Amino acid sequence: MNESTLFLITFVLYIASAFFYLSFLFSKEENTAKTGYFFAWAGLIFHTIALIWRTIESGHAPFTNMYESLSFLAWASILAYIIIEMKFKIRKAGPYFMLIVIGLMALASSPLMPKEATPLIPALQSYWLWLHVSVTLLGEAFFGFAFITSILYLVADAKENEGKNPGLSAEKLDSVSYRCIAIGFPLFTLGGLVFGMIWAYKAWGSWWSWDPKETWSLITWFVFALYLHTRIVMGWKGRRSAYIAIIGFLAALFTYFGVNYLLSGLHSYA
Amino acid sequence: MKSLFKYFSSVKLAIVLIIIITLASVVGTVIPQQKSPEEYIARYDQWANLLQRLQFTNLYKSLWFSVLLFLLALNIIVCTLDRLSPKLKKTFRPRLAVEAKDIAVLKIREKFKKPMSLNPTRELVKKVLSSRHYRIKETQKENKIFLYARKRILGWFGADIVHLGILIIIAGGIISGIGSFRWNMTFSEGRILDVPRADFKLKLDKFETEYYPSGGVKDWKSTLTVFENEKPVLNKIIEVNHPLSYKGFVFYQSSWGWDWRNPSVDILAKKRDDSSFSRKIELKIGERVKLEGEDIEVSVLEFIPDFVIGEKGQITSRSLDPNNPAAFIEGWQAEEKIFSGWIFAKFPDFDRIHSEKETDLIFELMDFSAGQISIIQASKDPGVNFIWAGCAFLMIGLLFAFYWPSREIRVAMEGIGNKTEITAGGIAAKSKDTFTSEFKNITESIRRSK
Repeated sequence: MNESTLFLITFVLYIASAFFYLSFLFSKEENTAKTGYFFAWAGLIFHTIALIWRTIESGHAPFTNMYESLSFLAWASILAYIIIEMKFKIRKAGPYFMLIVIGLMALASSPLMPKEATPLIPALQSYWLWLHVSVTLLGEAFFGFAFITSILYLVADAKENEGKNPGLSAEKLDSVSYRCIAIGFPLFTLGGLVFGMIWAYKAWGSWWSWDPKETWSLITWFVFALYLHTRIVMGWKGRRSAYIAIIGFLAALFTYFGVNYLLSGLHSYA
Repeated sequence: MKSLFKYFSSVKLAIVLIIIITLASVVGTVIPQQKSPEEYIARYDQWANLLQRLQFTNLYKSLWFSVLLFLLALNIIVCTLDRLSPKLKKTFRPRLAVEAKDIAVLKIREKFKKPMSLNPTRELVKKVLSSRHYRIKETQKENKIFLYARKRILGWFGADIVHLGILIIIAGGIISGIGSFRWNMTFSEGRILDVPRADFKLKLDKFETEYYPSGGVKDWKSTLTVFENEKPVLNKIIEVNHPLSYKGFVFYQSSWGWDWRNPSVDILAKKRDDSSFSRKIELKIGERVKLEGEDIEVSVLEFIPDFVIGEKGQITSRSLDPNNPAAFIEGWQAEEKIFSGWIFAKFPDFDRIHSEKETDLIFELMDFSAGQISIIQASKDPGVNFIWAGCAFLMIGLLFAFYWPSREIRVAMEGIGNKTEITAGGIAAKSKDTFTSEFKNITESIRRSK
């Protein structure tokens, strides 16, 4: 038994979960969805063990390169999904969300991502690594869920306008999107911006330097701030809110991924 | 003046400003910032000039970007003030007596008769509400009793606390922008340097690089001593992520390098027509050493780690890495300079020696070594505590706004004989679903209790 075996088992469990969820979409049998949910839980448990294993083996937080951070993001996403499922009972969104998780796991296991654990470079040797990355990624996982429910909203809304039954009501999807952002926004603010600023001050001597990663975090934050203001103060709902949530998640995705590959800066680790 | 106030108190302005600031921030990450004019010309050709004029190349520190941030701050201040005074009034001096007909227009409401006279009903309603942590204020008018119950009032101020936090952060940013300064201090071991604008000095006792067994750098550590009035007062080892803070200054392990101004150089002297002749001399910069068995003294005046001849013919170092090490040597014979010039470690057969006098000696740069220097960034940032205070407000405000939803319930009771007519209504700005079910539970237990 080692970390990569655990990772593989986790991956298989997630695929099984997605399979049952997808067949639930067609069969509409409650039990199939329950099986999918069960496999998501099983995956979460194995994934947790894999991450702990990796932490013990490498001696540092399990998110110091792209492979680790993708795997951790997948873990955070499953955690977010299970929390949301317990709170809002939204199984019909499960299959789509599982596809994202599987996408992350597939990317993590692609040969482009070096898997070996390397010792930590001096800049990353800090407990702020734990706080900054884990809280930020958990926040982004909730943004990811809001992204899914927003897209499903747009589809459901179109169907309802045609007089068809979309399965999950557009209103519920709209409300779940908001609730996800209400969870994700404080987490992202705390992990991404506040912890990021504290760590930057400790490591680089400057709490803000308009580094591309910092700037894109702020851009993401602004988009979700826009979502909240238009919704709470101006009463926007539905389509317009959904579009902003989608843009916000794409900005978060670019902050996480794009900045590393397309822009250069201080934040050159992951 | 009033219309200006109104203009700045609109959320629409906030939204427009946020959109503009966001788009500008995107532009600033696409156009590389603070590069040289040549780089912009190479990249953008004829557009370079325009971009520089619009300050797109130093966007985040440009006047127009600062103005946008300032307008956003102003907008937040005016919006908050505009909303705050009615909110405070409602918090501290709420209208207590709200008639049943006004309660009946609330979205969440209930109206029913309780077969119980007015006073015991009041006690019952109060008991039910306070068991759910509501704080109650009451007034009575003849046979009518009005209850105003609420809880988690801070949640109602969550957004204001967030905005206050953002304003403090912006203020801290302005203070940092004006008052902070940072510079690099280059230390070789044992060196004492004045800290600019401070009344103390700093000494590097020791600098070391630690390696992992695999070869990667584990850490850079500088042992520092603070000197005040020539006396050591504090000693600390700093490393990346663990700076030294002293009297408002913070010292960071920023970088390191080789002390190429003070290297040790090994030079090999040979003779053109005597292949058995070979003498090694070890030299420091400026030192003059006699070549054993010869009447010649050799000295090294300069060492360059990465020798290159610049565009104007000047000799410089391309980098601080020893990619093309070169030494400038001189030869002396009885106080008369007989040759001088550059020798190269990578090109032993090539030299640029200038001879005043015939000699069959040739020299090779055999080896070199230098001590390490530690580069320490010193900084003073008077705005930083504002930033942390602002962040604290920001987070507390977000928690209140999202997870401490305020609730308000009004009850009007009218005694009709030994019955009481109860009209109850509730207001919740956030998480209305949970409040609706809470409200139902409350009215249900009022109905059922005896």
